[in-house]
Amino acid sequence: MPPLFLAHGRFERLVKLLIAYTIRRLLMLIPVLIGMSFITFSIVHAIPGSPAQAILGEKASPEAIKQLEQQMGLNDPLYLQYFRYMEDLLHGDLGTSIKTGRPILEEIGPYLAATMELALAAMIIAVFFGVNLGIFSAWRHNTVVDYTSMVIALIGVSMPVFWLGLVEQWIFAQELGWLPSNGRMDPRMFFEPITQFVFIDALIQMNFEAFMDAFNHILLPALALGTIPMAIIARITRSSMLEVLRSDYIRTARAKGVGEGLIIYKHALKNAFIPILTVFGLQMGLLLGGAVLTETIFSWPGVGRYLYEAISTRDYPVIQSGILVVATIFVVINLIVDLMYAWIDPRIQYGKE
Amino acid sequence: MAEALLEITGFKMHFQTDKGVVKAVDGVDLTVSEGEIVGLVGESGCGKSVTSLSVMGLVPQPPGKVAGGSIRFAGKDLTRLKGREWQKIRGNDVAMIFQEPMTSLNPVFTIGNQMVEAIRQHQKVNKKKALSRARETLREVGIFREGILDEYPHQLSGGMRQRVMIAMAMVCRPKLLIADEPTTALDVTIQAQILDLMRRLNRETGTAILMITHDLGVVAEMCQRVVVMYAGQVVEQGDVQTLFKNPCHPYTKGLLKSIPQLDKRIDRLYSIPGHVPNPRKLPTGCRFAPRCEFASDICREQEPQLLELGDGHVSRCWLEDKDGTRRGADRDATTNTA
Repeated sequence: MPPLFLAHGRFERLVKLLIAYTIRRLLMLIPVLIGMSFITFSIVHAIPGSPAQAILGEKASPEAIKQLEQQMGLNDPLYLQYFRYMEDLLHGDLGTSIKTGRPILEEIGPYLAATMELALAAMIIAVFFGVNLGIFSAWRHNTVVDYTSMVIALIGVSMPVFWLGLVEQWIFAQELGWLPSNGRMDPRMFFEPITQFVFIDALIQMNFEAFMDAFNHILLPALALGTIPMAIIARITRSSMLEVLRSDYIRTARAKGVGEGLIIYKHALKNAFIPILTVFGLQMGLLLGGAVLTETIFSWPGVGRYLYEAISTRDYPVIQSGILVVATIFVVINLIVDLMYAWIDPRIQYGKE
Repeated sequence: MAEALLEITGFKMHFQTDKGVVKAVDGVDLTVSEGEIVGLVGESGCGKSVTSLSVMGLVPQPPGKVAGGSIRFAGKDLTRLKGREWQKIRGNDVAMIFQEPMTSLNPVFTIGNQMVEAIRQHQKVNKKKALSRARETLREVGIFREGILDEYPHQLSGGMRQRVMIAMAMVCRPKLLIADEPTTALDVTIQAQILDLMRRLNRETGTAILMITHDLGVVAEMCQRVVVMYAGQVVEQGDVQTLFKNPCHPYTKGLLKSIPQLDKRIDRLYSIPGHVPNPRKLPTGCRFAPRCEFASDICREQEPQLLELGDGHVSRCWLEDKDGTRRGADRDATTNTA
């Protein structure tokens, strides 16, 4: 229901502004994607080696390789190959994988779902711990608590993710045996994929055993992947909260007799949230691009590994289209974040009335 | 005289900094009786704001530290209160409005939300009742319009925001309202309206007001009594009539002299020479002595005490100590050469 003060069609006008802004932003996506496609295309074709070599193996004769390359159209001038690629894209065709022979659009779905699940889990951990650590630091500014939290954050950003992943596996899977060390689910688990999101699928089928299994599997990789974003969020939250806690309206809230908890989590946090949201968007975008290292260590069947394998087999179409998909997601996530600014801060408006 | 509502005696608030102790408030005595409007005046940096924030318990400690004295409100010593006890007093018995109406309201919550919060913090009422209380109070301060409760602070002007602040402060009918330069940031016509409003609320609800200002015009118009502060201390106190007609402390005289007057044509406006002393390096003796045209040797050597002049008029000045009775009273008063 529209708030009262937006009577006389003002609410409708604001919604129209929002839609217009979104459309404008989506149109801006077009040049970004064209640029992206051009860059990935050039880089991919600059990598030494050829898909024909990868398919036929080390010992293939140069003639056989030449012939296959001819068949695949790899000997055509580059601009021609690029235009062919673009033409397919415009028809909504992301191309076909050289390695598997299946359409990429079909193939990438499950990988994307796995990556999204992992990224979301990692961000939940990062936001929950990061925001609270930052708040705690700011609240007890310049005390031992503050210094300890910031040292934890510093260690967090400096820790290489592959090392952290290996240590986690060693402690929690190897030594303690509490959690599984890799994979997305126990392969013996009887499970019917519907949406490719295992948590949603498990809930739809009321299969709580599968749900818990998936939960146990995601914990370690999510923790490894979430550590760096957590540290970054903790630091940005701290500095943002420090600034807000000094402001006049916080003093007003105290003068009203509001307790510390509400002051921090209601009055201050909402004001401090915009920079946190910005960092959240950037980090989420990065994680959705697939975390190659984490996914490799934990055998997580995500986009990062999909792309990694494509690169090692010189699967040109998969590399190009995969990166394009990831870039689109990145831009869309940041658009959503931009739209959320207005929801947090009523002073932000998109366009003129 | 009505019963004392707020009684500050010998109160000291010091700040620990890297460069030493800053004695922001160093011996303040003042009382506010029920229903009274008291003005607290002085130049910037003389400790007015710290005094008022101390009454609300809003001085962060550390770095602040109560170094002595007491603040009694309705018989309770506020300097001994802990977190939760403060919450019961703030906004309920003592409310405060601030100098900067533009930034004193939370920009991301609606007026209604912020007012309801103030009410429900202290009274067990449901949201609907609280909203109607909020509406009623906004009507009292003269800015109620349909839908204002759903508006955000940035949609209101500075004067309106200050009225919202006043409404929010008055909504629980506090016994004492502390107003820290409430009109300084507003333009003159709005200033007059806000002062009128505060005077009316004082009359109608009996809420006492401690009015912090550097504007003696405001004091003359609003207050029954005035307290003059200088460098963290009270230097003179008395009812408005006496103080304006017969100021005793040279600092008060200076303040009064620096009000421009329409009926006298002068080439230069008067200002007290010199500056407020650095609170880290306070002069020995009388703190005003370096700027005082009447200063003698004793002023530079010994600190004067507050001296009762009758009718609640007190002054901290050696000039009033004509018979020298107070001089011997000081412990190490060896210099009688003056």
